[in-house]
Amino acid sequence: MHEFSVTSQIVEAILKEAGKHNAKRVVAVHLDIGKLTFLGLEQVRFSYEVLVKGTILEGSKLYIEEKDGIVNCRSCGYEGGFQYEDDPIYHIPTPTLRCPNCGETVEIEGGRECTIRDMKLLISEDDKTDAD
Amino acid sequence: MKDVVEAEKGEIFDIELDVNILEANRKLANENKELLQKNGVQAIDVMGAIGSGKTSLIEKLVQNLKGKYRMAAFKGDLTTTIDAELIARHGVEVIPINTGKECHLDANLVKKALKRINLEGIDLLFIENVGNLICPAEFPLGSDKRIVVVSITEGPYMVVKHPFIFMDADVVVINKLDLAQAMGVDVKKLENDAKTINPKVKVVATNCRSGEGIINVINALEL
Ligand SMILES: Nc1nc2c(ncn2[C@@H]2O[C@H](COP(=O)(O)OP(=O)(O)O)[C@@H](O)[C@H]2O)c(=O)[nH]1
Ligand SMILES: [Mg+2]
Ligand SMILES: [Zn+2]
Repeated sequence: MHEFSVTSQIVEAILKEAGKHNAKRVVAVHLDIGKLTFLGLEQVRFSYEVLVKGTILEGSKLYIEEKDGIVNCRSCGYEGGFQYEDDPIYHIPTPTLRCPNCGETVEIEGGRECTIRDMKLLISEDDKTDAD
Repeated sequence: MKDVVEAEKGEIFDIELDVNILEANRKLANENKELLQKNGVQAIDVMGAIGSGKTSLIEKLVQNLKGKYRMAAFKGDLTTTIDAELIARHGVEVIPINTGKECHLDANLVKKALKRINLEGIDLLFIENVGNLICPAEFPLGSDKRIVVVSITEGPYMVVKHPFIFMDADVVVINKLDLAQAMGVDVKKLENDAKTINPKVKVVATNCRSGEGIINVINALEL
């Protein structure tokens, strides 16, 4: 799985951004992760803990918001979740790209994000404050 | 990024960002695609689990298309170059891409490999992804078409268990057709599963040892 390499890119991007602001510490980080990225949230958290050791991110709080898959129909304008079709043989609900409204094929619009949404920085060590 | 007011000493400083980590790969993939198009090269990304038959499929396609296209192949592999040697037997230039401990190819690795071949000398490029069905989907490489290979030996739930990979596929190859009866797997059902998930996908059943069905793969790829 690629959680470790994705998370190391996340940490790198945060360090770069924090550096621009002369941050002493990063106290909190907020990520949006889409369900369609198949990033295991536990693995992301674990990788994060490992990667932030010894950096100004150590001890920061990591918030992850999971984003649902969203589709968009060019044909009728439907926007929303996937339609699931019930499998008569296996009884496993199967997601489909068929539009629940008109039956045309939809496009995937959301659920693929892996975005750093915001972060909280501490500018000076003199005045330590908690993440929230 | 939103404009921020500089904070006082010791102040907690809230910064809104919109840094998409996967975006960098997507950008590079688009650059690869442009470079390939400029040189008139069609690229086909082949995904599928280890042992599903990706290399066998590429070998058979190469054999069948030898007179028609000038071809090359990239072979992403965790450690070995055995597959690369197999494809090279057919007189096609093969660039092995060693991903190290990574579980998928990415656009940057493909970009590097593209520098090592003479793009003007080829028309068709096969990219065999690392044997992994989950990771490669998020890392487009810049190919024109994506094939997902599943094999009968992966069992009857194979498709419904990994629905999202099929949403990104143009062609699904159900391989090892010769083992369907022994394994008690209903090929028609697998085919329907893929179609339920992605109504536009083309599904072809093959035996990549004998070559059965290869011509249908070629048609599905419009080659
Ligand atoms: N019985 C059978 N074996 C196959 C078929 N296609 C490939 N194989 C065998 O399956 C094994 C794995 O194939 P390979 O192409 O290396 O899979 P890859 O790991 O996806 O590249 C090899 O021993 C192939 O000879 C097929 O259609 N039927
Ligand atoms: Mg192989
Ligand atoms: Zn619709």
